[in-house]
Amino acid sequence: MDIYNSGGPEVSIRSLKKDSMKFVLSNTDLSVANALRRIMIAEVPTMAIDMVEIEINSTVLTDEFIAHRLGMIPLTSFDVDRIQYTRDCTCTLYCPNCSVELMLHVKVNVNFEEMNDPTIDKTRQVTSLDLMSSDDSVKPVSDDKAHPILIVKMRPGQELKLKCVAKKGVAKEHAKWSPVYGVAFEYDPYNKLRHSHYWVEQDEKEEWGVSANAAEETPVDPNEPFDYNAKPERFYVELETSGCMKPEEVALRAMTIMQDKLGGLQIKLDEEVREDNQRWGY
Amino acid sequence: MNAPDRFELFVLPDGVKKLTITPDTKIPNAATFKVEKEDHTLANMLRMQLLEDPKVLFAGYKMPHPLDHYFILKVQTTPDTTPAHVLGNAVTELIQNVGSMKNKFEMDLIRARSDNAKADIGEGEDMSSHQVDMDF
Repeated sequence: MDIYNSGGPEVSIRSLKKDSMKFVLSNTDLSVANALRRIMIAEVPTMAIDMVEIEINSTVLTDEFIAHRLGMIPLTSFDVDRIQYTRDCTCTLYCPNCSVELMLHVKVNVNFEEMNDPTIDKTRQVTSLDLMSSDDSVKPVSDDKAHPILIVKMRPGQELKLKCVAKKGVAKEHAKWSPVYGVAFEYDPYNKLRHSHYWVEQDEKEEWGVSANAAEETPVDPNEPFDYNAKPERFYVELETSGCMKPEEVALRAMTIMQDKLGGLQIKLDEEVREDNQRWGY
Repeated sequence: MNAPDRFELFVLPDGVKKLTITPDTKIPNAATFKVEKEDHTLANMLRMQLLEDPKVLFAGYKMPHPLDHYFILKVQTTPDTTPAHVLGNAVTELIQNVGSMKNKFEMDLIRARSDNAKADIGEGEDMSSHQVDMDF
């Protein structure tokens, strides 16, 4: 029952970088391509700070403000399979099997000699580099040591001491767990299928133009009759990760999740049918 | 305050069945499938795959309420088969499709990685002949 009368979907990777990739998906249905997109955004598990225990906070930001900022910091999650979801774990609150602890302690001492010299910048920037992880595979994403993620700025005499607990989760629960910053998804750049309705002042072509992906397709012939049976066939996907894992890993994990979803349903369906047969004595 | 927990979107509570099949009492060869803790991701995929099957007379899904995390899928088939059977076929077909998509992705990944490696070596010798697009 191969409806696509060929060897199934085709994938062609157009560019592969450290934290972004482009690929073209073809010979598959829009619904499958869209499912892949939705899963990449919302169902690929990653690690993120989920609990913060603040011991000392004399900074200008409130505890909850800092906790929120900490939650948003992307953590490296390539080893996330090793970690359990806390709700599936046998522990009462959290344990090394289902969490990773990150400590932060910054105290800015008052330097009495420099105190009254306005030419010296006494601001201490507390960044993701100050977070000390208990697990080497789960730590703040920081390829660029020159541009770490700012958490709070402190002045002499202030202190911040806290413990963060990073947990495994999916972006369906909170967007901080999303492995991607964005997934661009396009099909039919010439709008041959007329799925898009452009709002125009005067001229559609002049005001909207075509995307870069149009280079891969044949331009639309204005005399060609509208093919109402045509279906989208080529999907241009571009994804950018937060740096928590490689982009190809995000895509592959998404496909595995898709398989698991379908596989799980198949098992349940077989169970139900078997039960039904027993009930009615077929 | 009374906001429902976010995990209700994907955690199946104890004693709740993932899938229930209710045969239609008025339409022959028709049934309603209720799938708990799933959304458009799966539902739309199933619907589109079911519609490819010539034995399926009707297939449609809906998520009845945004605060309820389940969808219902209504299927009517020709008399020589059953809704559960065609759904089984659709799921099998989708699993194969996704499996082959994953294989193709992995194959092309090997190519893309080796291309990147070549570009990296090339960059040392001649900067002008390669795109800076590759940073592996």
